[in-house]
Amino acid sequence: MTKQCYFTQNNIKYVDYKDTDILKKFLNPHGRIISRKRTGVCAKYQRQLAVAIKRARFMGLLPYVAR
Amino acid sequence: MSCGIPPNKKARSTDCNKTMEDINEIRSNVYEIGYLIASSVPEEKVATEAEAVKSIITKAGAEVIAEGEPVIERLAYTMRKKSVSGAYDKYDTAYFGWIKFEVGSSKIEGIKKAVDIHPSVLRMLMTSTVRENTYLGKHAPAMEGDADLAASTGATMSASSAPVAHASPKKAAPCAKEEKMEVTPASIEQMDKSIDAMVKEV
Repeated sequence: MTKQCYFTQNNIKYVDYKDTDILKKFLNPHGRIISRKRTGVCAKYQRQLAVAIKRARFMGLLPYVAR
Repeated sequence: MSCGIPPNKKARSTDCNKTMEDINEIRSNVYEIGYLIASSVPEEKVATEAEAVKSIITKAGAEVIAEGEPVIERLAYTMRKKSVSGAYDKYDTAYFGWIKFEVGSSKIEGIKKAVDIHPSVLRMLMTSTVRENTYLGKHAPAMEGDADLAASTGATMSASSAPVAHASPKKAAPCAKEEKMEVTPASIEQMDKSIDAMVKEV
């Protein structure tokens, strides 16, 4: 079975909170983080992703709640 | 220097000192500061404000590794900051900039406080990071199977693309078939014929 994790596949080692275009892909229309069960992101990067999204939210780059 | 080694193992204390120094060297001293400059600052003065933030960092003895110029951003929610008069000012837009730098961990608290109390800085975030570039920006790779997940999950925040889902093999199969459609290049003979036909028409 092939790898599903976006970050592993694209050799992205660090998830940056400034990369809002990437982070938005892992949020649902309400602005909530999509579970890794659905996105296929591996546990290591899901942790990094969650921190990055929370940092981006604090800086106003991403919403806490939408719609 | 006490390093938690029992007295009967004093012979190893020098080794301990060395290792502590090594640990301090190894410990990541690369930080990144992201800041929002209030949109009330005129556009022509934003560069000087960013320079002021940078000077706070360099004065503390930091070495700037990389930086991003402040760019106006529409904030995801309204932020407010107490003005000098005591009233709250509301902001829907702000200039977002960042600086990546290297400095000793003892200096970081001072830098953080100095940037935070800067009057034109709306908000700041200090993070520990790595020397290498982590910001992809527009070079972010596209995701595979975007259309599949967008259809299955409704939509994500970004309308253009969605993450790869743990799509069942049944769902993934048709997509793979579509990709396998090959375009065979035209042979020289075919090309000659078509050129001849075009010449005859003229």
